[in-house]
Amino acid sequence: MTGHTGTGIGASLPRLEDLPLLLGKGKYFADLKRPGQLHVFFFRSIHAHAKIKSIDTRQAEELPGVVAVVTGEMIKDELLPLPQPSVTADLPGRKPTFWPLAVNKVIFHGEPVVAVVAEDPYVAEDALELIDVDYEPLPYVGDMEAALDPASPIVHEGWDSNQIFHIDFHSDRSESEHKDYVKRVAELIETAPHVIKQRYRVHRCGVTPMEPRGVLAEWDDTDGLMVWITSQRPHVDRYVFADVMSLPVSKVRVVAPVDQGGGFGVKAAIYREPMLITYLARKLGRPVRWLETREENLMTVGQERDQIHDLELAADENGKIIAARDMGMADAGDGCAGMYWGYNMPLVGAARFPNAFDIPFCEVQMRVAVTNKAVLSPARGLGIYPTRFALDRAIDMMARKIGMEPSDLRRKNLITELPAKLSTGITYDSGDFRKTYDRLIELADLPAFRKEQEAARKEGRYIGFGIGVGAEPSGVHSRRYIVNTGTPAYAATDVRIDHRGGVTVYYGDAPHGQSHKTVIAQIVSTELGVPPEHVTVIHGDTQSTPYSTGTVAARGASLVMSSVAVACRDLRKKMIRVFAHDHKADPDYSDYEFADGQVRHKRSDNLRSGFAELAYRIIVNSIDLPPGETGSLEQKAVFENDFGMVAFSAHGAFVEVCAKTGRVKILKYITSDDAGTVLNPQILVGQIEGGVIQGISNFLFEEYVYDENGQQLSSSLANYKIASAADVPAIDVYHDAGTYCPNTPLGARAMGEGCIGAVPGALGNAISDALQPFGVEIVETPVTPAKILRMIRG
Amino acid sequence: MYPSAIQNYEAPDSVDGAMAAIAKFGDDAHFIAGGQSLMQAIKSRIIQPETLVDLQNVDELRSLEMAQGVTIGAMVRYRDIAANAGLDGRLGALRDAASHVGDRQVRSRGTIGGSLCWNFVSACMPTVTLALDPRLTLGSEARGRREVGIRDFLGEPMETDRQEDELLISIFFPEAAGRHGSAYGKWSLLTDGLPVIGVCAAVSLDDDNKCTSARVSVGGLETGPVRFKRAEEELLGAGFDDLKSHEGAISAAAEEAEIFDDITGDAEFRRQLIRSVGLKSIVKAFERAAAAGADQ
Amino acid sequence: MKRDVTITINGVEYSGNIPIRMLLVDFIRDVAGLTGTHVGCTFEGQCGACTIHLNGEAVKSCLLLAVQCHGKEITTVEGLAREGALHVLQEEFHRHHALQCGYCTSGMLMNAAEFITERPDADDEEIRHALVGNICRCTGYTNIIKAISAAAKRNASV
Ligand SMILES: Cc1cc2nc3c(=O)[nH]c(=O)nc-3n(C[C@H](O)[C@H](O)[C@H](O)COP(=O)(O)OP(=O)(O)OC[C@H]3O[C@@H](n4cnc5c(N)ncnc54)[C@H](O)[C@@H]3O)c2cc1C
Ligand code: FES
Ligand code: FES
Repeated sequence: MTGHTGTGIGASLPRLEDLPLLLGKGKYFADLKRPGQLHVFFFRSIHAHAKIKSIDTRQAEELPGVVAVVTGEMIKDELLPLPQPSVTADLPGRKPTFWPLAVNKVIFHGEPVVAVVAEDPYVAEDALELIDVDYEPLPYVGDMEAALDPASPIVHEGWDSNQIFHIDFHSDRSESEHKDYVKRVAELIETAPHVIKQRYRVHRCGVTPMEPRGVLAEWDDTDGLMVWITSQRPHVDRYVFADVMSLPVSKVRVVAPVDQGGGFGVKAAIYREPMLITYLARKLGRPVRWLETREENLMTVGQERDQIHDLELAADENGKIIAARDMGMADAGDGCAGMYWGYNMPLVGAARFPNAFDIPFCEVQMRVAVTNKAVLSPARGLGIYPTRFALDRAIDMMARKIGMEPSDLRRKNLITELPAKLSTGITYDSGDFRKTYDRLIELADLPAFRKEQEAARKEGRYIGFGIGVGAEPSGVHSRRYIVNTGTPAYAATDVRIDHRGGVTVYYGDAPHGQSHKTVIAQIVSTELGVPPEHVTVIHGDTQSTPYSTGTVAARGASLVMSSVAVACRDLRKKMIRVFAHDHKADPDYSDYEFADGQVRHKRSDNLRSGFAELAYRIIVNSIDLPPGETGSLEQKAVFENDFGMVAFSAHGAFVEVCAKTGRVKILKYITSDDAGTVLNPQILVGQIEGGVIQGISNFLFEEYVYDENGQQLSSSLANYKIASAADVPAIDVYHDAGTYCPNTPLGARAMGEGCIGAVPGALGNAISDALQPFGVEIVETPVTPAKILRMIRG
Repeated sequence: MYPSAIQNYEAPDSVDGAMAAIAKFGDDAHFIAGGQSLMQAIKSRIIQPETLVDLQNVDELRSLEMAQGVTIGAMVRYRDIAANAGLDGRLGALRDAASHVGDRQVRSRGTIGGSLCWNFVSACMPTVTLALDPRLTLGSEARGRREVGIRDFLGEPMETDRQEDELLISIFFPEAAGRHGSAYGKWSLLTDGLPVIGVCAAVSLDDDNKCTSARVSVGGLETGPVRFKRAEEELLGAGFDDLKSHEGAISAAAEEAEIFDDITGDAEFRRQLIRSVGLKSIVKAFERAAAAGADQ
Repeated sequence: MKRDVTITINGVEYSGNIPIRMLLVDFIRDVAGLTGTHVGCTFEGQCGACTIHLNGEAVKSCLLLAVQCHGKEITTVEGLAREGALHVLQEEFHRHHALQCGYCTSGMLMNAAEFITERPDADDEEIRHALVGNICRCTGYTNIIKAISAAAKRNASV
């Protein structure tokens, strides 16, 4: 699985990012300092829901070293609240109005109420102890189902209910067609020989990165606002800061540091704190910095999943699925995060509910409630983790009901004809789900396992096997993405060749572990024939890079890398035209190759030039060019696809469940993935291994816990339990049963985001399979040992 | 995140110096040993010490002596205990615990004395020592040295018999003739985490491999570690390989115990863990005791 | 409230008149300016990103005060490569793609650097057990285990 030994596309080229990181010379947010910088600490609400009666900050203000103490009242007339146009284009659903600091009332435990600015971070924290806030507690709204009840107390002042979003997916059915469609679904379910009707629930968990968030802002009367921020979307941040501070966009520059310690979606939304830091920098005329603590991180961002699905699945005698109805519900927390608003995740999850399955009639609805919790915010496998769990579990339960091997029933219902359009309107472009699936089945050797399982049961050992699948987005398209986030999906890169043949690639996203530098260099190397070391990649700086939505939503291998290839190909053509002109040769593009630092004609040995010489000829010595041609070798390319592309995975988990302690041990975990053209096998495998382990850790260990008063009980890494190396298995990743993607120039599919989707189904099914002697079906996560023992006891 | 302001820091190099320092600075002075619990409390500002008296330079507290019993200095680290092959058989439980506390880094700093003085509700060393029944030496400038048995030392969780000005100097396990074995095991959701349940068993065997004394302690309960008298009584007379009695003993005791529900598990789950972790510890303790005989 | 503190980090002495309450990790990052040592916790000391060597042993620098290390020698990730040559672990991490975002990497390297000298023959399970104090959110650990195992073998064969 190590690819070929070259340096171009398909090679397991060791990463160009590594060296500084290994030497401790990475450039992360926290490593940055500005002269005279001030430090911010937030005083946060101790209540989940309360009226603010008074705030006393006098003592804090008097503490030596404290420069300013600000409250919501003080700022609310000086900067605009969210929502703003930068993040709302075409978005459906409600959007609560919010400022960075609480005004009038607090709506979750951990909401920023007061900000202290001090010369020294230690002193800023000292000042927090001197602040006194008087609250009048209000009833806590903590249960999504109860929150949707008309009798529930209201989270957002002025709203008539707690419903922030509802969707009944129509695809392209008109209102009356849809009515008939829904009726048909009901009839089919009512008359089907086999129906599984079950509530499935996935808890609040997410993928908090190891590096917390941070913002450092500086104001200059001439240049305007300069912001360094841990972010997956510097360009969107830039628009937002311009909006809330009423500045021209040209007066805002945002830089996401070259190195970022992970993001996984957490750094993709627009949260409260950065808006306040930028405001303070202008107000105080000094650099202002906020570095999030882990506690703040765990209490305010990265809380995802948290959905309930009331699912009815109907099949005929032979196990062919004929209809499904999924009534989803989700808990958005307070809904106060720009772009996502707490409901983008469940929206996406529900839209993609049918997964890789051919469900002829499928009704899907999703209702989302606001509650007094931290906002539901993005995490890898955005929105889909709960829906994958629900449907994959229902399929196994159906198989058992009919008496079929679950893997057969699952196979039987996989979509076989692509392109396809789901009943929710989602489209899949290409692939061969069965081929990729069958590879997993082959690797799993199920007949042998079933024998082993039987023998083990006789010894009182409970082993099980389960499969989960995921037909996940490989890049999104703007028509959908604008509706989901209020921003477009296209990737834009700017490839510039210099007069010595070096290549610099500029793009506006902000990777944070995805190895884009290496993969981009490999693509440039293949397309232009230069060594990867001659490729420089600049990202994250809005001053030098083209606008683009960010490092999110599986846009890497699908869109970004495609735009790099397209730009390189345009540059190639120009170089060939000039070369052919200079040598009075025929400029037939397919006759030329770029390799080994040369541009050469494939059939005439003497028709060749050094890549650098030709670059110099066009960039600097730019006279006597072909008619209509200009100097310069800089090419911007924008890539998008108007049709949803897909990347399919099938995962198989083998587990052993200890009936004494309830402990789940994963014996083996295999994935078969369709990544299309594999750009760098080692990096691909690394992405999948990482994603799968996150999914496992979510399933078995991690949980954001709120008590009955909305107090968060999981605000440290001692309580929010992330798997260590000793808690998880190695993952066997296979990508040899993939299919070329015809809709990207390189044939690649994006895997990084979606690879987590198949995990909850695989684990839930494997554990249920192991526990069949007890009749246990897992319908709720996290699957903790205590719960397993309770289920075994019955 | 950051400690509150600290006025004084002392790092004495003798036991007398340490006792003098704590006496001098009084109420808001704290000893710091490995800091693996205290620093958490200081950084979250639950504790805001005026003075820290650092014990790292007091060599006397670092010694581990094996003559006429075993004397372990308060500043002996988990790492040192885990690596000390001399702590086998009778004191095997110490190594079982020490090699699975937290992680490598924590074990390189955290000390047995610190753990006992902190007496965290589910910590390992309080449970282990409760079963091994050592005597502790404490000292203060004002009142000199005194000895106290572990049962009297460990109070409610986070409380001990140690007075504010007292230094825990050492933990002494008297020599005992005969054949003894001990073992400790724990269960936590993540590997080597603070236990949901920890069980320590210490047993003695006669020449016929029958149990002549047994002590079983259980940690992870709301009350802090407790001795399971019922199990101890039922183990008396049990053969070293009599799995049924071992199982019966721990099950009976687990049934009786007062156990609460919390977010890490319900009472029934804890009972079940006591049974399964407890049985393993008991079996291992018997094995070790039996092996001790084989040497003689 | 303040003390003169001198700490030798990677062979270089760094001094400052610092508050007693200053954490060692802040001394390393802010006084010595060595930012390879990272912070991932509030107070709990669970993530391991701040792992350094004190007296040659891997410890968490967020759970120590700088004053406690006065006169002592510590090594941080910046001191791992010697005279321009990468440490075997750095080479193997690179070869095996054992890092993605790199945030946990310094701590992983420092913990593993001590471990492989202590236990050059450790098997995968023992290596996993040795890494309990270091969380990596990106890699899923498999490649880290491979890298450490390879480095231990190379180290032992020298
Ligand atoms: C990540 C992590 C994981 C952990 N996992 C576990 C686990 O699995 N099991 C477990 O049991 N523990 C665990 N712990 C806690 C660990 O065991 C602590 O090391 C131990 O509780 C305290 O020992 P210390 O030497 O660090 O003491 P310190 O933290 O320095 O001190 C603790 C208390 O004891 C006092 N004290 C210390 N020494 C003396 C003395 N000689 N005389 C008088 N008073 C003294 C101090 O003043 C302080 O009040 C974990 C800690 C961490 C950070
Ligand atoms: S910052 Fe030290 S362990 Fe996390
Ligand atoms: S590489 Fe990102 S946390 Fe380990």
